[in-house]
Amino acid sequence: MTVLGAEWTKFSSIRATMTLSLATVAASAALGFLFSNASARQYATATPQERLDFAPLDLGMRGLFVVQLLVAALGVLVASSEYGSGTMRASVAAVGGRGRLLAAKAGMTVLTALPVSVAGVWLMYVAGQTTLAAGGAPYVMPGDPAALRLLLLGPLVFTSLALFGLALGFLLRGTAPAVNVSTAFLLLPILSTASPAPVRDFISAYWPNMAAFQTVSGTSELPVWVGSGILVGFVAVMLIVAYVQFKNRDA
Amino acid sequence: MIQLNGMTKRHGEVLAVDDLTFTVRPGLVTGFLGPNGAGKSTTMRMILGLDLPTSGTATVNGRLHQDLPHPLREVGSLLEAQAVHPRRTARKHLLYLAQTNDLPPARVDEVLDLVGLTDAADRPAGVFSLGMSQRLGIAAALLGDPPVLLLDEPVNGLDPEGVLWIRTLIRGLAAEGRTVLVSSHLMSEMALTADRLVVIGKGRLIAEAAIGEFTGNDGAVLVRTPESASFARRLELSGAHVRAGRDGELVVTGMTAPDMGRLAAAEGVPLFELTPRRTSLEEAFMELTRDSVEYGAAR
Repeated sequence: MTVLGAEWTKFSSIRATMTLSLATVAASAALGFLFSNASARQYATATPQERLDFAPLDLGMRGLFVVQLLVAALGVLVASSEYGSGTMRASVAAVGGRGRLLAAKAGMTVLTALPVSVAGVWLMYVAGQTTLAAGGAPYVMPGDPAALRLLLLGPLVFTSLALFGLALGFLLRGTAPAVNVSTAFLLLPILSTASPAPVRDFISAYWPNMAAFQTVSGTSELPVWVGSGILVGFVAVMLIVAYVQFKNRDA
Repeated sequence: MIQLNGMTKRHGEVLAVDDLTFTVRPGLVTGFLGPNGAGKSTTMRMILGLDLPTSGTATVNGRLHQDLPHPLREVGSLLEAQAVHPRRTARKHLLYLAQTNDLPPARVDEVLDLVGLTDAADRPAGVFSLGMSQRLGIAAALLGDPPVLLLDEPVNGLDPEGVLWIRTLIRGLAAEGRTVLVSSHLMSEMALTADRLVVIGKGRLIAEAAIGEFTGNDGAVLVRTPESASFARRLELSGAHVRAGRDGELVVTGMTAPDMGRLAAAEGVPLFELTPRRTSLEEAFMELTRDSVEYGAAR
């Protein structure tokens, strides 16, 4: 517990981490508004068939693909800001057991990424659906099963991505390399749309962040627990690899 | 008490630390001396559990660093003074360290006061001068009031006032009964602070002794005479060992100065100088580490 308290002191005494947290929430709301505003205008001039295919929840939440990068970066910073400034040595010398330090950082990541994710996902939902409604387009009420699932499970998916970022921060020991790798990894499904259909379909269904997002938002054929399980399993493996490396390398 | 037992650290092909075994005792300042690149910092990082030894162990008060429940209460360290996040204030830096070891926040104010940083406590560490950074590093080392202290080149880059402050502080810490290991590449600095010396070169232990044993008469006598060639031959016939000194003088071992004076008088050799040679700590260090300097200037 005391080590976790120390992590909070570190997190809250650096402007970068606090700014990124607030920026993530603000960006979520802004993107919810922007994507929905555009969708509402398209709906106004859409053909009847297009109106039938209109998916208000997906369209309103398209910004999640950007926000996931910010939440993952938040996790990266929890580890990488210590490598960048050289305080990792001071922290390891002070804490002793490296497992305890990594566990505290994982706890810190969850405790910051979860509220940020809840605020981000819910704000994006509210901003998105009210903008659609105001624009005269269909919208989804929070009582809708798909919307409810997204509002409850979405933040957990994001928090897992923050832990993925944390693992990369430990493995690559620097903000820039870890953020680059994390961004490339999370955006690969979007970039892969130009690849041959079998590859594209496989990545779209099973790539860890896609598997979780698609099942949570109800656009995948996989059950929710499989899609989320792929992400959780992947993040667990990343954290274990990060721990083994952290334990066996010079700090 | 710090005990090293066969500590070895290999970086690929390079042996940074080679089978180091020594003990650092409480109540004394132990100088840890060696040329740049001798492996001092690596050894200190291994004692602190930061670098993992290839083989061997280091214990602090009988335990491995990783097994200490509250490491800062057992061993304080100053490694790189700049290892502070530049945007974090001195107070927050010390506060998070205190929290990791369950130390009361009031202790942060105590150490800030002790090192004279109270007025600068709420400024980001990035704007600190080298001297202030060094003081902050010392504050962090003293945070847990530890019985063991490791200080890596604490006077590096300090102004004379800062050097004097650190020197007095180090002496005081040892006088309180703490175990103090201070590394330096400057023998002259160690001459002023250390009670014992551990000298290493190229990762190996070269010497370990009380500081007095490094200085003093090394048994050689300098002899200056206009008849150096013939007197040298005469000395060697009497069993002494003679080699030429720097300015034509003779450096004689194996015979005492009084005996040489009597011999010269008996032979009628005029002597201009007859001096038992005293080595300074600096010379002793140069002599000890001559073979292990990484990049020595050509002589």
